[in-house]
Amino acid sequence: MPENHCAPTRRAMRLGIAGPVGTGKSSLIMMICRELAHDIAIGVVTNDIYTDEDARMIRAAGVLDPARVLAVETGACPHTAIRDDITANAMACERLEAQHGPLDVILVESGGDNLTATFSPALVDVQIFLIDVAGGGDVARKGGPGIERADLLVVNKTDLGPHVGVDVPMMYADALAARQGGPVIALSRNDFRAVAELRGWVLDQHAAYIQGRLEPADPGPMAAHRHGPGEPEHAHAGGRHGHTH
Amino acid sequence: MSESPVKLAWEPQIQPEHGALTALLLADARLPIGGHTRSGSLEPALAAGVDDIPGFINLHLRTVVRTDAGTAVVARRHALAGLPLEPVLDAWRARTPSAALRADAEIVGAALVRLASRLWQLVPLPANPPGALVLGAIAAATGIDAADIARVVAYDAVQTITSAALKLRPGDPLEVAGWTLAAFPAIASVVSASADIVTPDQIPARSAPHLESYAEAHTTTTRRLFRA
Ligand SMILES: Nc1nc2c(ncn2[C@@H]2O[C@H](COP(=O)(O)OP(=O)(O)O)[C@@H](O)[C@H]2O)c(=O)[nH]1
Ligand SMILES: [Mg+2]
Repeated sequence: MPENHCAPTRRAMRLGIAGPVGTGKSSLIMMICRELAHDIAIGVVTNDIYTDEDARMIRAAGVLDPARVLAVETGACPHTAIRDDITANAMACERLEAQHGPLDVILVESGGDNLTATFSPALVDVQIFLIDVAGGGDVARKGGPGIERADLLVVNKTDLGPHVGVDVPMMYADALAARQGGPVIALSRNDFRAVAELRGWVLDQHAAYIQGRLEPADPGPMAAHRHGPGEPEHAHAGGRHGHTH
Repeated sequence: MSESPVKLAWEPQIQPEHGALTALLLADARLPIGGHTRSGSLEPALAAGVDDIPGFINLHLRTVVRTDAGTAVVARRHALAGLPLEPVLDAWRARTPSAALRADAEIVGAALVRLASRLWQLVPLPANPPGALVLGAIAAATGIDAADIARVVAYDAVQTITSAALKLRPGDPLEVAGWTLAAFPAIASVVSASADIVTPDQIPARSAPHLESYAEAHTTTTRRLFRA
């Protein structure tokens, strides 16, 4: 931690990272650690489905004190562990803070269940949803709670576009449209500008969190809907219901 | 409650009229205490070649569950009488020789403390209490009687295994529900053997070397679905 670091008076900001298996969640965590570990104190909780491989890979990357990476087993219920019963993950976060605190940010990697799994706002303060170019150019357009309403959508592995026949600018435009203007970063680990953009987004979220401006929002499961033929389509996030159903 | 009223050193929030409901709440797999992350050592047992899951359930009920149910019952009595819980903890530890089983029970205990700190006010607990001890303290605070809390301990042990079985060896879930039913007599034996235990030295100590070795083996595997 730098000398000018102020010990946070509140618990660490919890940043959830969800998205299908293989889209680059663990890689994103290592990237965030590499980019920010000198500026802020970070802890990591992984939810591997069948191994503790992610935790071991992140520990081995040398971007963080290995003791600050905890693996949580989810009993083949990765979805449950980040949504209906967050106990194991919440306790892992609490343990990281008790043993290594004060921490600024805890990154929680979901088990990568599928396109519908997003974090409960009771577990994380803010969340990123990841899809990747190799998963197909139409994934962004098809949407889903994470794609449409996570706090940030990352379209990862843009470097692979030419190799898998995906029009990256088109996929990015689809993502922006699906999110009605919500933030999207088209990322590749080789794209320094995009990496800097991601770094800035995380720091902005943390600043907002410290100032009490960050309100945890639930991206799902409610889909965008209309209330009547003439009514505009809209979605609800974070329990911010302006009306009753 | 079976015993005569005792002078309480500490005023618990006893709602005896809702004790039975609270017992149902505690026995419900949907209770947010991370039940889905545990298999009652079924995962390592299957890996070690165990085939007979109803027999594995029975093994639990005849061994570690006896210790845990007795611990919950005595912890409840101590909490109601204003006696310290440390001797109960010591008795449980002495009767639970596997470090892996102790560690798992302490995770459940921490999850229950997390839950209880939001819902009830418990007597002061020793550090790192196992789930059984916390259940006893919750029983004291909420009006659950001794037999009911012993039943919760035994039933939860069974259902932890059966629900993990559906993940690890998926078969007809109706048949698995039948395993639970088949375990009822053994659960009833746990209840009748535990309900009248009063002091820590009366907590049963049944050795379960197979179970313990499965639990220990699980801590060193790198491929597992369940925490324990
Ligand atoms: N080409 C390319 N591959 C990437 C990028 N980011 C991650 N990967 C690769 O994608 C694979 C899956 O990444 P991982 O982080 O394990 O995904 P997770 O399952 O979502 O955690 C690995 O082989 C990574 O090296 C990227 O920006 N470009
Ligand atoms: Mg991963």
